[in-house]
Amino acid sequence: MEMLVFAGAAVVKIAVVMGVVLLTVAFLTLAERKVLSWMQDRMGPMEVGPYGTLQPIADGIKLFFKEDIIPAGANRFLFSLAPILSLVPAFIGFAVVPYGPNREIELFGVTIKPFIITDINIGILYILAFVSIGAYGVILGGWASNNKYSLLGGLRSAAQVISYELNIGLAIIGVLILSGSLSMVTIAEKQAGSILNWNIIGMGHGGGIWWWFPVTQIVAFVVYIISAVAETNRLPFDLPEAESELVAGWMTEYSGMRFAFFFMAEYANMILVSCIASVLFLGGYHAPYPGTLLPDNLSWIEGVAWFTVKVYAFLFLFFWLRATLPRLRYDQLMRFGWKVMLPLALGNIVITSIVVYFLRD
Amino acid sequence: MAVAQWVKTLTFYEILVGMKATITVLIQRIILRNRKAITLQYPHEKRELPGTYRGMIALLRYDDGTDKCVGCDLCESACPSRVITVISSEVEGEPMKRYAKEYYMDMTRCLFCGLCVQACPVDALAMTTEYEWAKYNKRDLRLNKEQLLALGDRNFPVREKKLEFQHPNVAYFNIGHKNLPPKES
Repeated sequence: MEMLVFAGAAVVKIAVVMGVVLLTVAFLTLAERKVLSWMQDRMGPMEVGPYGTLQPIADGIKLFFKEDIIPAGANRFLFSLAPILSLVPAFIGFAVVPYGPNREIELFGVTIKPFIITDINIGILYILAFVSIGAYGVILGGWASNNKYSLLGGLRSAAQVISYELNIGLAIIGVLILSGSLSMVTIAEKQAGSILNWNIIGMGHGGGIWWWFPVTQIVAFVVYIISAVAETNRLPFDLPEAESELVAGWMTEYSGMRFAFFFMAEYANMILVSCIASVLFLGGYHAPYPGTLLPDNLSWIEGVAWFTVKVYAFLFLFFWLRATLPRLRYDQLMRFGWKVMLPLALGNIVITSIVVYFLRD
Repeated sequence: MAVAQWVKTLTFYEILVGMKATITVLIQRIILRNRKAITLQYPHEKRELPGTYRGMIALLRYDDGTDKCVGCDLCESACPSRVITVISSEVEGEPMKRYAKEYYMDMTRCLFCGLCVQACPVDALAMTTEYEWAKYNKRDLRLNKEQLLALGDRNFPVREKKLEFQHPNVAYFNIGHKNLPPKES
């Protein structure tokens, strides 16, 4: 009975999170087109529904009923596997993200944490590990298409994703040193208090006013954001896809639902990196002011709302950057990743660890 | 100077300036509402076309309903893309008068240069402002004489008088029509 309740609660939590994520993915496509058009003196989708609000549904139906083409000479198994390999890792990371306060409720004698699907003690490592698998989807999709340009696009994309994944991993190490934990829930809890205790400011780690500056993770935050944009192949770094120059890189031969899987993976990855950024650097579900405004039994609404606001602010930042910046050249991209971002992230680790060593005494 | 440059690089100054520009446009569009999109919602709103717009080509009639075209083939020879085919014929019982028995325009090839309109000695051709002529079958775009006349009737409801009634002194084949005195009406 207890197992049943536990499993049922887990399934319900997974269903809710997946539903919200899928809905967000669908409407992010609309939001992106709308925001871009507003910034570029256009209107964006206007035909389906009032002001084009039902456009994602029309797009989904269209992609679902499109002809499913597998090119002659393609490796059918890997060609079908690649979109799944890219989509599943993008969705699987949401399992360890804390969406709200770490409170517990009793249900039929079983303790359930309603706002966290699961609290793994290596949560952030788990996310990084699974996001890395997404690169296999890209490179296998490029190879299985039996098209040299797809393969080249896949290789470029894999090179970019791997390079910037390194920077993501190094950028968050400063936060991990400060929190002393790899669990997303613990990292979020350590930032309780106010905006000053968020890792981006970093005043919550003792040592007084003179110690906050070396501990501040703002450099790591900037490195993380830039690397996250590159990792998700978004616009200033979208060389593998380069809609206006190339024919969609490794996705050249894909159509219909398989293409939609890649598309959904890209947007799910965007949401995932936004979730990680808000948990690691911006205090997750904590409000920028101390405590909560609502009474204690309703404070979870405030927590979830703040988390949502932060994630959506990041997603807006993605669109904003896309509307503003031109695409980098490939050698610039690689040079920037290895020669600028990597030393910055490493220097941040060194400084943070030295300061934390003295603070801990 | 070098310090300022370093500060600008470290704070991503140029990128922030660009981001300010884009967000300004968004705020003007969505919040202040003092800026409009330059695009038109095409099937619902359409641009106002200038009178000199070069759209579909039409054949014209005189006010008594007879064709203006005299079947001289000058439009056919003026056309750079060989759009026009004229099969001209004698008017029954009037050996000096000719007319176009059949007149075809293959609009798939037309580049809307207007040379045929310039070449026509009797102003029988005109360019309309119609442009929505997408067809499922490209053979539907090979227009015959009736279709071209219908285009003319549709777009130019006010027809001209016959040439001899406009200017009694000029001949039927008005080669020097550009130097004519102004018309009466």
